[in-house]
Amino acid sequence: MTAALLTLADSRLPAGGHTHSGGVEQAIAAELLTDPASLALFLRRRLTTSGAVAAGLAAAACRAVDDTDVVAALAALDAEADARTPAPALRAASRQQGRGLVRVGGRAWPHPAWAALPVQPHHPLALGVAAAAGGLAPRDAAAAAAYLSVSGPATAAQRLLAMDPITVAAVTARLGPEVDAVAAAAVDGLPAAADPLLDLLAEVHTVRTDRFFAS
Amino acid sequence: MEVVARRDARGRTVLPVVRASGQLAVRRTGEGAVHLVATAFGPLGGDDAEVRLVVEEGARLSVHSVAAAVVLPARGGSPPSRQLVRAEVAGVLHLTPEPTVVTARAVHVAELHAELGEGGELTATEQVLLGRAGEAPGRWTGTTRVVVSGRPVLHTTVGLGPGTPAWLPPVAPRAYVSTVRIGEPRAAVQTGVDAVRLPLPGGWVGTAWAAELHEAVARLAGVTRERDLEVAR
Repeated sequence: MTAALLTLADSRLPAGGHTHSGGVEQAIAAELLTDPASLALFLRRRLTTSGAVAAGLAAAACRAVDDTDVVAALAALDAEADARTPAPALRAASRQQGRGLVRVGGRAWPHPAWAALPVQPHHPLALGVAAAAGGLAPRDAAAAAAYLSVSGPATAAQRLLAMDPITVAAVTARLGPEVDAVAAAAVDGLPAAADPLLDLLAEVHTVRTDRFFAS
Repeated sequence: MEVVARRDARGRTVLPVVRASGQLAVRRTGEGAVHLVATAFGPLGGDDAEVRLVVEEGARLSVHSVAAAVVLPARGGSPPSRQLVRAEVAGVLHLTPEPTVVTARAVHVAELHAELGEGGELTATEQVLLGRAGEAPGRWTGTTRVVVSGRPVLHTTVGLGPGTPAWLPPVAPRAYVSTVRIGEPRAAVQTGVDAVRLPLPGGWVGTAWAAELHEAVARLAGVTRERDLEVAR
């Protein structure tokens, strides 16, 4: 079962996550992110807000697969995801990545629950269903969501700032205990931690014509 | 504390229930208008206040406060003070209290849970300042959940102050303001300097931050284009 979790969190899983920087591109443009130290702060900020929200939703979606009315349970979670993601640019980014994960996950781990997801689901919902379909538990779904909330953005920062890959890997790895803590805290609830800065960065980014990443 | 607003036979708003206890008093200050009055210094660490607001169909209720709430820590390891507002809105609710100032070592938790019926309207503002002049910042956590016709349209928890998730250098503002507005067409996105307005079904939510409260208020007004919110009363 561990292999399914590793696959889910693997950046090489072609779910489209590599086209998103999780706000990193705009944070660099705004000169809020310039070096490994500010990258660590930015990733922590992202992990404890949108990462926590994603972890809670992913765990709940994984659990919803066992619900008597899976369609209704996942639709309710999709509405909760919208309520926690008021920025249209972040909603679009989440749904794009959700659709990408449905495409690959549905083939990788066939399961009736894929059909119960809304069209273009929020990414954490797709992640939760993928975890369930892969035989994983809600806490695994939360762990994958929390980890992905920092791993993709870290890689984006490395590419955009031409940072030393070993340094960036170390920054991400050092967040490990916090990733675990966020995932553990999110398993039994639906955190709503918001960061208005990330909302603002995402909306300023989305109207740029010279952007490299989709979000 | 509890206030019920009802439309009478002549179409005016009456307040059949205006009840308060503990550290909050309520005064009727106009047709469908009340002011909250703190009966003591505080809130103080460990204080727990619950406010229930019911606005029936066709009624209007405006809730203000007479002065800024200055949150003070209790002695020793201060527990948080809490304020929970539960609103059931079939009519029109304006919730525009004066700012909350969270002094050094104080921790304040504010929650707004608003359930709107079809046609319900809501304007809710929040203005927060961490620390009095020259003082270290306190900590504030604010949760807003707005449900319209049974569907959640906004659910966010913002933490401010040392040790909270989204309050890290280089963006760790002392002043924060936010307004939720439901009851008008879905607004477009508007961005400004440290300010953003986001669309909601039937309205918007605007947020701004700055080093000083008046700057944050001006920045929010800049993206919401609602000058009347600048004074928020």
